[in-house]
Amino acid sequence: MKWSYMDHWRSQSPHGPIDQWESRTTMDRFLKQVAAVGYDAIDTFDFRWYQIMGEYGSVANYQEFVQERGLDRIVNTFHAADYDTRTYAPHIRETHANILEDFRVTMDRWSGIRLDNIIVMPATLYYDMEPVTEDKLKITAELWNKVGAITADAGVKLTCHHEFFCGIQSRWELDTFYAHTDPQFVNLFVDTAQHCIASVDPIEFYESYADRVSGFHFKDTRNHDLIGDYKRRPDSEIMARTTERWFYEMGDEDGLVDFENFIRAVARHGFEGYLSVEHDKANKLGGDHAESTAIAAWYAKNVLERVAAEEVAR
Amino acid sequence: MIRWSYAINQFKPQFDDFTRRRDHLRALRVIAASGFSGVELNAGSGRWEPLGNPQQMAANFGSVAGFSTFVSEAALDGVSSWFWDPSMRLQEDLTHGDDPTQPEGRDGLVAHARMFSSALAELGGDVLVVRPAPSMGDRTLDDTAMTALAESWNAVAAAVAADGIRLALHFDFLSPLRADDGLERLLAATDSSVGLALDTAEFTVAGLDPVAFYQAHADRVTHVHLKNAAAVDDLGEYTFPAPEFTVLRAGGSRAVPRWFTELATEPLLVDAPGFVSALVEHRYDGWVVVESDLSPHPPTSTMLNGWEVRYVLGPISADRAGARL
Repeated sequence: MKWSYMDHWRSQSPHGPIDQWESRTTMDRFLKQVAAVGYDAIDTFDFRWYQIMGEYGSVANYQEFVQERGLDRIVNTFHAADYDTRTYAPHIRETHANILEDFRVTMDRWSGIRLDNIIVMPATLYYDMEPVTEDKLKITAELWNKVGAITADAGVKLTCHHEFFCGIQSRWELDTFYAHTDPQFVNLFVDTAQHCIASVDPIEFYESYADRVSGFHFKDTRNHDLIGDYKRRPDSEIMARTTERWFYEMGDEDGLVDFENFIRAVARHGFEGYLSVEHDKANKLGGDHAESTAIAAWYAKNVLERVAAEEVAR
Repeated sequence: MIRWSYAINQFKPQFDDFTRRRDHLRALRVIAASGFSGVELNAGSGRWEPLGNPQQMAANFGSVAGFSTFVSEAALDGVSSWFWDPSMRLQEDLTHGDDPTQPEGRDGLVAHARMFSSALAELGGDVLVVRPAPSMGDRTLDDTAMTALAESWNAVAAAVAADGIRLALHFDFLSPLRADDGLERLLAATDSSVGLALDTAEFTVAGLDPVAFYQAHADRVTHVHLKNAAAVDDLGEYTFPAPEFTVLRAGGSRAVPRWFTELATEPLLVDAPGFVSALVEHRYDGWVVVESDLSPHPPTSTMLNGWEVRYVLGPISADRAGARL
């Protein structure tokens, strides 16, 4: 099993909290910590392209910097778009030309390295899309079929990651969306915590679409959203009054995700790609990204790999 | 063969930190995930020191064996060693610290050493690491005191050997052994059963070259603390009153923020690859405990040091071992 670590990171500096992109020195420390605890690779965000060009000169140069610290490569990039119903909204057909051009530019920028997936949140924030209707989901699917063709031309899979606060998060919305997308061009990226928060069983959901799944975010949560935080204005993710921190590392003692049975399902379906671990906002409520990253690596190596091996042996 | 362990002391910056089971579990998992196979404990006293001594282990884990199981479940091979500063009070038996320069207190010193060594043996450990003398302050070690010191540690080494445990004296930069060639005199005065725990950073801060010292005394070095140093106490401030606070923590007159740093953090006052090469050259067989005491970010320190061991220091020992064959 190969494990990749998704970009999220904060550490302290003499001038306060920083991320790893501040300098080569901070990136060096980040990559060494990730490699030290046994991850094989990293994922990133493609909005980092500007910092990469400024600091390293090219994406390929940055990947060499990654590899010099004991990691295989950059596996996936997350396309975190600035959704806006005026200019960039998958359920609004008038914005599609703009979105398609964005992906043409993006794939060109990352053409210097091999990527497995480009990951997207396939819908706007929920409140910008509601009421979520089948017609809106059809229009959204129409867009991503076209985007998937662009990324496939570049040798990269388009894959959809469903934040609990996006316009495609309930089981009906998910099933409707995937029914209208082309399996050749639109894949699924299962985030265990996001689905769990949205009361979609990540194991059952994964089993239903295993042949379209091209990756995962392994992370945990302690809360289901039972009161509609997913459509809270202006923000659900870090401003919900009920829940100051949604995400925890896998292996968390109060976590809701059944990772052992999840990895059994992954093993049964013979998934062969990298398994990505993510610690989204893990520094909230006194959390620490470095510690969470080590604890998750411990859990992956000492619990999940053992369970997966048992499942394969059966 | 070098075995790699990590010192747990950094995870407890203050007396009321690191008391809960969850804290211990997460620290051990961070150490294991970072590639280390053992953990060095730090002696302590009282109910807020669950890992500090056998009585507290029993209170928190049912027994010493219960704690051993807890360590194993974190995917570590076990406890490598236990660091004990005899000057610490032990609330458990209402004693106020042992002074090894005082012959009349030697029985108490030996009894406490056995308390730790017997538990350490049960935990699968090898080495009792001790602070050989209290901090310098206004203390001087005249010939009488040095003789008493040597006799005390000879007695302790013989006593803990009954548990299969080796004694290692841990010289630190606050030690009165810095003055008047004290460390050399103590080594000369003690039996060969009294080993030395060579701490690369403590030597460096004290103005001593750890590689040169090791080359000269390889036969006495039975334990290693490997860490980098950021500054040298070239003003001799170890003689300040209460130097554990005024110098070690407050940084002395220059307010040094950290005396000790990770193995590859600039400035590199300790040549870790050079030191490990020297260990391999002398066929060192024992624990190398990587330490980052007083780290402001313990998981990060452990992980960065784990990377150095995995990609830089481990291969040195593997290459050299291969070359010998």
